[in-house]
Amino acid sequence: MNRSDAPMPPALVSPLQRLRAASNRLTTRSASPTLLAGLAGLVALFLVVPLVYIFLRAVGADGEAWQRLLQARLWKLLGNTLLLMLAVTGGALVTGASMAWLTERSDLPGRKYFRWMFALPLAIPAYIGGIVHLALLRPRGGMLPRLLENLLGQPVYTPSPLGFWGAAFILILFTFPYVYLLSGAAFRSQHASLEEAARMLGYRPLRTFFSVTLPAMRPGLLAGALLVALDILAEYGTVALLRYETFSSAIFVQLSGRYDRSAAAVLSGVLVGLAVIILWAELRSQGQARFTQMESSWRPAPTIRLGKWRIPALLVAAGVTFTSLLVPVGVLATWSIQAVLDPDTLRSVLHSGSMGFSNFAWNSLWTSFLAALLAITLSVPVALFSVRHPSRISRFIARVCQVGYAIPGVVIALSLVLLVNRTLPFLYATPFIVVIAYVLRHMPQAVRASEAALNQVSPTLEEAARVSGRTPVQALLQVTFPLILPGLLAGGALVFLTSLKELPATLLLRPAGFDTLAVRVWMWANDGFYVQAAPAALFLVLISAVPLSFLLRREQIFK
Amino acid sequence: MIALDVQHLSKRFYSGQYPAVNDVSFAMQQGEILVLVGPSGCGKTTTLRLIAGLERPDSGEIYLDGQVAASREIFLPPEQRGIGMVFQDHALFPHLNVYDNIAFGLRGRPSVEIRQTVHELLNMVGLEPLAKRYPHALSGGERQRVALARALAPHPVLVLMDEPFSSLDTDLRLEMREQVRSLLKAMNASVVFVTHDQEEALYMGDRLAVFQQGRLEQLGTPEQVFQNSATRFVAEFMGNSAFLSGEVIPGGIQTEVGLVSQPVNLPTGSRVELAVRVDDLDFYPDPTGNAVIVERIFRGVQNVYRLRLDSGLTLQAFKEHITMLPVGQRIQAKLNPGHPLNVFLASH
Repeated sequence: MNRSDAPMPPALVSPLQRLRAASNRLTTRSASPTLLAGLAGLVALFLVVPLVYIFLRAVGADGEAWQRLLQARLWKLLGNTLLLMLAVTGGALVTGASMAWLTERSDLPGRKYFRWMFALPLAIPAYIGGIVHLALLRPRGGMLPRLLENLLGQPVYTPSPLGFWGAAFILILFTFPYVYLLSGAAFRSQHASLEEAARMLGYRPLRTFFSVTLPAMRPGLLAGALLVALDILAEYGTVALLRYETFSSAIFVQLSGRYDRSAAAVLSGVLVGLAVIILWAELRSQGQARFTQMESSWRPAPTIRLGKWRIPALLVAAGVTFTSLLVPVGVLATWSIQAVLDPDTLRSVLHSGSMGFSNFAWNSLWTSFLAALLAITLSVPVALFSVRHPSRISRFIARVCQVGYAIPGVVIALSLVLLVNRTLPFLYATPFIVVIAYVLRHMPQAVRASEAALNQVSPTLEEAARVSGRTPVQALLQVTFPLILPGLLAGGALVFLTSLKELPATLLLRPAGFDTLAVRVWMWANDGFYVQAAPAALFLVLISAVPLSFLLRREQIFK
Repeated sequence: MIALDVQHLSKRFYSGQYPAVNDVSFAMQQGEILVLVGPSGCGKTTTLRLIAGLERPDSGEIYLDGQVAASREIFLPPEQRGIGMVFQDHALFPHLNVYDNIAFGLRGRPSVEIRQTVHELLNMVGLEPLAKRYPHALSGGERQRVALARALAPHPVLVLMDEPFSSLDTDLRLEMREQVRSLLKAMNASVVFVTHDQEEALYMGDRLAVFQQGRLEQLGTPEQVFQNSATRFVAEFMGNSAFLSGEVIPGGIQTEVGLVSQPVNLPTGSRVELAVRVDDLDFYPDPTGNAVIVERIFRGVQNVYRLRLDSGLTLQAFKEHITMLPVGQRIQAKLNPGHPLNVFLASH
């Protein structure tokens, strides 16, 4: 430990040390974060380039394109999109929060099973749910109207799933689980003493609920609502299927049909602007949404007896589960059996052109798996930098890595088409561009998961490893990494799940003939071959359920 | 032999108003337990982390066993310093069992030696039967002992302990104090121990270093620091002194509760303050006395009385628990220390 053993020659020390001292002043923990900061910065750059590019294209579009869109379409699209977003967010909030109250705070019969039933619709892509309900309820030729007509001998009016109300209905059914999960956790972690204090201060139960219980859950509810809102902005499949035009579907049409890229860029710019505003609100609410942290003094709030409302509550809960889970899965299963029993259909299910069922499944699996792997790997330096070296720069980088939420699949597709054509043409028309789109879109989930995992690991553990003779890298590999691995896997599972379900970016970016399960289901269903699409759709739902149930088991309410 | 020598150590954080550690120097002998004590935010923990190599000093030098660990040119990373550390939250690796936690710092040694050392330490801290347990299945006291064993296992030149007992409840804390001190003494370990608890500091330390606002205020034996405080802050922090003003006269100091006859190295007429603790003041009921009882606090073996002097100053004094005097009773208060009091020049 004398001078000649010093880790570097003195001549090199002073500039390096000055650099270190500078970075030290920004952080509280020592060890040089320069390399880490560089890696995290590169990841952030990779994520932010497509977004910035689209903005530049939108702003740089010729005035004529803006003019044309402003006159004709923009206001209507904006109105349509916002209306659907508000309706679905509101509906999902009411449904999700009330179902959470029923399973977490009341004595609803079978609530243990309902917890799973309310969460599992997350494994069903909304457009697949939409396909099933459309087939059932279509005004002309739908299964239900036909059945009723045969039974009653005359045409009967049934509500149409097309248009605004249909789209809102379907999207509420398949997005309310977000709110359900977040508010369920909030209900569950709430201290009993909170409500007891209100009661002691003279509040009746109902007033207690509205003035204490619900406000205390606000962070959880808000987080759920904003997630739903971002999801609706990005939704393509359902709105296209049910013929309700929003920004996403309009951009898709511009891109695939009319091939007007500058109009698409303008629309994308507006859409991304909208999403960025919501994302900003979401990031602000996130800091306060620490609702799953339980203290040791936690005591569950007492279960509320439903009494004479038991049966109506049970009927409502069963109705929600029936329409959001049992009907889609049941119908898909029935169609799948029909498809397998009919030799002609079976043949076209297994082989369409040169591609077979196993090809679609394999394509779905490997692209989603690779995206999950990449997203998690890239998220680790970002999370390490932001959690272990908190500073304005690292917080900024972590925020930037959340932009994927604000870039709907169609916009990512547009941006990548334009960017890759210009700069990396060898990537164009390869499946890897699809994987890149998944990573860009789902990176925020990976970053959040890694940050959460790392926050659980006390930095003193790494310091203990350092003092016990480990270099920073060894401490990371031997102590930090084994401890955050379950959290990283959860993040990977989430990215895998959402990539499997992704539709618009895959449709727009895939090389000709590269079909995934989601794409095949969509194409067949669009052509009206519901029975033929069913086995692939069912398979997609079932493999989505695997990572989903792994994720749910990590949640407090499913333990 | 000098185990640790710290020279002019300074460290300032980006956000801090004043330096976290400000020109601190001290040295400690092999086998000594040095306690860094002071209120929270005084720089004691930062000093410890600088010695460990977990923070990089802005200036100053650190020598371990006579060799440079940190200076202007050299900064040894923590893994090269050969130091053992016990963390405030114990920082046991949750994915390793007790045995592997203790063996963690022994990597690279022959496996026979590792096994022998770990068992030796398990034995010493009395945890042999729990070797295969994981940290989450241990009690607070057991975790504490594992953390100590892990720090001691590689036979470090120096052991650092950062408020190691603060997560334990009071009874256990007193018990652990005794066990840990005798263990450290039996191993003749050199220890730097950080605490904010003055009583713990007096118990644990061979010497105490009292910190305030990043500065080392006094370094000395527990007795020196307590009875012969170097600064007003030290007198106040160690033993909750109150301050009574007085004036230097020939033969002692004149105060409103009488003359204190003790030699003073200050010119006659100087305004001074005397540090007065509960045991330094005596009083008896007297209707024409100079103070009145404002509160009696029952402490079990004794009653602590809060007395308001006619000047408005409030002092505390104790009596045995059988003596009960009512609030409002007029009394005559009198300094009766039986030892020289700490005297400081009045601040204004």
